[in-house]
Amino acid sequence: MDFFSIGLTLACVSAAGGALWRVRTWFLRGKAFAKGGNTGPGVFRRFVGGLADVILLRRTLRDGPARWTGHMLLVLGFLPLIFLHAMDDVVTRPIFSAYEPTLDPWQFLRNLFGLISLTGLAILAMHRITRLKHESIAQDWALLAVIGGVLVSGFFLESFKIMSPGDFTRMTDDYFPEAESEELLALKTYWARENGVRFTIFLPTAPEITELGAQLHEDRCAGCHAPTATAFVSRSMTALVPSSMNIADQGRTVLWYAHVALAFIALGLLPWGKFFHPVATAANLLVRGGSRTSSAGNSSFSSGLALDACTRCGQCSLHCSVAPIHKVLGNRDILPMDKLLDLRQHLDGSLSPTGTAALVEGSHICTECLRCTQVCSAGIDLQDLWATSKKVLTEAGRAGVDGEIRKSTAAEWARDFSSRNLGRIGSTGAGLADRAESFWGCVQCTTCTGVCPVVAVSEDPSRDLDLAPQQIMNLLRMGLKAQTLGARMVWSCTTCYKCQEHCPQGVPVADILYELRQLGADNLRKKEGRA
Amino acid sequence: MKTYDVMVIGSGFAGMAAALFAANRGLSVVQTGATGGIDFSTGFIDLLAVHPIAEQKVWEDPFAALAALRRDLPAHPYCRVSDDEISLALQEFTNFLGQHGLCYRGRDKKNTLALTSAGTLKPTYLLPCTLWNGVEAREKKANTLIVDFHGLKGLSARQIAEVRKDWPNLKTARINFPGMGGELYPEHMAWSLADPARRAELAEMVAPLAVEAQYVGFPAILGMTDTSIVLRHMEELLGRPVFEIPTLPPSIAGPRLRAAFDRGLPGLGVRTCTQKLVTRAESSEAGFHFTAGSGSTSVDISARSAILASGRFFGKGLKADRHHIHEAIFDLPVTQPENRGRWHRPAFFDPQGHEINQAGLETDAGLRPLGADGKPFHPRLHAAGAILAHQDWMRMKCGAGLAIATAYKAVASL
Repeated sequence: MDFFSIGLTLACVSAAGGALWRVRTWFLRGKAFAKGGNTGPGVFRRFVGGLADVILLRRTLRDGPARWTGHMLLVLGFLPLIFLHAMDDVVTRPIFSAYEPTLDPWQFLRNLFGLISLTGLAILAMHRITRLKHESIAQDWALLAVIGGVLVSGFFLESFKIMSPGDFTRMTDDYFPEAESEELLALKTYWARENGVRFTIFLPTAPEITELGAQLHEDRCAGCHAPTATAFVSRSMTALVPSSMNIADQGRTVLWYAHVALAFIALGLLPWGKFFHPVATAANLLVRGGSRTSSAGNSSFSSGLALDACTRCGQCSLHCSVAPIHKVLGNRDILPMDKLLDLRQHLDGSLSPTGTAALVEGSHICTECLRCTQVCSAGIDLQDLWATSKKVLTEAGRAGVDGEIRKSTAAEWARDFSSRNLGRIGSTGAGLADRAESFWGCVQCTTCTGVCPVVAVSEDPSRDLDLAPQQIMNLLRMGLKAQTLGARMVWSCTTCYKCQEHCPQGVPVADILYELRQLGADNLRKKEGRA
Repeated sequence: MKTYDVMVIGSGFAGMAAALFAANRGLSVVQTGATGGIDFSTGFIDLLAVHPIAEQKVWEDPFAALAALRRDLPAHPYCRVSDDEISLALQEFTNFLGQHGLCYRGRDKKNTLALTSAGTLKPTYLLPCTLWNGVEAREKKANTLIVDFHGLKGLSARQIAEVRKDWPNLKTARINFPGMGGELYPEHMAWSLADPARRAELAEMVAPLAVEAQYVGFPAILGMTDTSIVLRHMEELLGRPVFEIPTLPPSIAGPRLRAAFDRGLPGLGVRTCTQKLVTRAESSEAGFHFTAGSGSTSVDISARSAILASGRFFGKGLKADRHHIHEAIFDLPVTQPENRGRWHRPAFFDPQGHEINQAGLETDAGLRPLGADGKPFHPRLHAAGAILAHQDWMRMKCGAGLAIATAYKAVASL
C-alpha cells in the first residue's frame, strides 16, 4: 500500500463513516423534539421549490450579490474539478476515450475551473473578513483554508510539473526509450522553448535542431500533450520561480504530496462541522421545499436535519432582534448561530452546566420574532427550533429568566426588586427607560396597546400580562421602574415594533420593553449569584 | 429619481383628502405622515356648528353659519373656499370612503345632533352610517337599550343615561364581552367581531336584555374593516336596528378611517410613505426635495409642488418651544400670540377659547403660505387643514370640514 491508497482509504472511511454518523443525528436529535409529521403544500411544488433553492442558491441572494456570486463561482468551478479531475479515472476516462489530463480541453478547463473556484473562494473570504469577522470561529476559517489550499497547491503542482526536467526524462524513458542523444537534445530544446521545461544543461539554438525537435514532438509527444500554454494559470505561474533556482523536481514532489494530502484532508473532514454543509444544507433546503415561514409541527426528522444544516453564514446573528442584548450581557447563546451550536450539544448531552445556563438564558431572551427564519440562507426553520427547544428546556426544569419571572406577578417582583440591593436597577441608570425625554410626548392614548398583537391574543390582558404597554410607559415616566420589570407583558413582547411604529408621539415603546427584558435577565443573574 | 407632481405632507384629514383629490385629478402623488389627529377622530365630519365661539352659538344650518363667519372673520380659512367647493369636496371625500366600506350620512344643509360617549349631543354635518340609528332613536325618544362592557373604559352607558334625562326610555346594561376579560381595548374587540360566531355569542347575551327595546346601541366596536357587514349581522341576530356610539379617543373610528385610506389610496396610484415624517426639505424654482423618515428606512422624494397638511401641534406641523411657535418643515412664519403669557387664558373652558388655538400659517387666496416677506413662500407650495391660522376648529366644530375643503382648494390651485 502506498501513500495514495492509504490516504484515499482513510479519507473515504472517515468521510463515509462520519457522514453516516451525521445522518444518524438527524434521526436522533429530532426525537428530543417528538412531534407529528408536517403536511405542507403539494409534494411536487415543494420539490421544485426546494430544488430551485439548492441549485440557484435563491436564499443566499437575499443578502446581496457578494455571497451568492462567491458561492455560485465556487460551486460551478469546484464540482467539475471533483468529477472531471480528481475522479478522472472513474468518470472522465470511461466517458471520453481519448482523455488525457495533459490534452485540451481538459488541461485548459482544469485551469479555468480552478480559477473560477479560486475567485469564488476569494469573494467568500473577503465577505467573511469584512462582514463576519466577529461571528467567525476556527472551523469557518478552516474550511476556507483547506479548500483554498487544495486549489492553490493544485496550481503550483501543475506549474512545477511543467518546469520539471525529471518529469520530462521519466516520460522520454517510458515513451521514447530508443531515442538517440541528438534526438533527445532536440526534443529538450523544443520543450524548453515551447512548453517551459527548465533544463540545467546548455541547449543549442541552431534552426535544424529546433526543426528536428518540433518534428519529434509531433511524432512522439503531441498525441498526449497539448501546449502547456493552455494551462494558462499554471504556465504563467512558472514566472514566480526565478530561473536561477533549480527546484522544479523537488518542488514537484513536495507539491504532489501537499495537493493530494490536502484533498484527502478535505474529503476526510467532510462530515466535520461546517464542512458538511454542502450535504446537510442542500438536504434541508429540499426538505423545506421553498418555504420561508415557520410551520409548527415539523417532523422529528426535519427538525434533526434543520439542527445540522447551519452554514454559519452569520445572517441570523447579524439580523437578530435581540443582538443588542448580547452586546450588553455578553452571552453568545443569545445569537441564533451560536445558540444552535450549543443546542446541538445540549441534545447530545455534552453541554457543560455553564453552557446550559447560557443556553437557557439565551433561549429566553429570544422573542421569536421570526427574523432568523426569514433570513436563513440554509432555509432552517429556526423559529420552530427555538419554540420547541424552549419547551424542552422548560420541561427539563430549565425555564430560564422568562419562567422565573412568570412564577410571580409584577407586583411581587416589584417588592422583591425594591427590597433587594441591586444598586440602580439597570446598571447605569442611563437607559431609555430612565430618561424623561423618552416619555416626554406620551399622552397615554393607548394606541400602543390597541395595536399590540400580544394584548390582542390575550383573553384577559391584566391577568395574562400584568400590564399593557401604555401602562408600563406610564409607570416608567413616574420613575416606578421596579414595578415594570416583572410584568409579563415585557416577557411576552415579540418585538414586532407595531407599538413604536404607531405611537403618535414617537415614544420608543418597543425599544423600552426590550431594555426592560435585558435588565430583567441582568437582575436574575445577580439574584442567582451568577457573574 | 422620479419627480412627482405633488408631495402631500401629512396623513390626517387634510393630507388624506389632498392625496385623494390630487390622485383623482390624474396627478402623480406621494404622501408622508405618521399617526396623528385622524387616529383620534370620532369619525364625525363637522362642517361648522359654532360661531361666534365667545357666544357659543350653535347653528342648525352650517351654510348660514358659514355666511356669518365670512362676514365676521375675514381672515378665517373658510373665506378662501366657496360653499360649492365645500359641497363638492365633501361629496368626493365621502364617496371614496363609501367605496371602501365606510358609509357616511347626514341631512342636506343641516347639522345633526349626534350622541357622544359622555351622553352629550354634538352638532355635526356628516356621520358614519353605523351611528345613524342612534340619531333616529334619540330623536324619537324610542325604547332603546345601550350596552356597555365590563373592562371597556371608553364608554359608560349609565353615564349617557344620567346625562340624557330627556330620554326616559333609555335603558342600559353592562355585560361581559364574549371571549375577553379584564381591561378591554376597542381595536381588539373590533377585530374579534370579524368572526360571525363571536357576533352570535354577543347577540345571545344581549337579546334577553333587549326584549322591550326598539333600538340597541353599542360602543363603537362593531368590526374594523367590515363594519357594515357586522352591523347588519347584529341587526339580523337581534331583530332590531343597531347603532354605535363612538368611545373616548382613541375610538375605533380613527383606525377605520386610516384603514380605508390605506386600502384606497395606493389603488389610485398614490405612493404612501406611512409612519414617516419629513426630516429634510429643500425648495428651488424647479420644485422640492424631501427626505422622509430617518436611518436606514428613510426615503428621498422629489416633487414639483407640495401641499403642507402637517397639522398643528399633535400632528407636529407646528412646534412650540418655551417662547415661540415654529413651522416644522420650511420654518415658515407662524402667526401667533405676542408672547407666551397670551397663549392660554386662565380658565381652560373659557368660552373665548385660547389664542394659541388660532396660531398657524397666513396664506394668499390660493392657500399658498406666505414667507417672511409677506409674499407666497413658493409658487407651488400650498397649505391645508389645521395648520392654517385664524381658526379654532375644536370650538367651532369645523375640523374635518375645514381640512377637506381647504385640501380641495389647495389641489384646485395647483
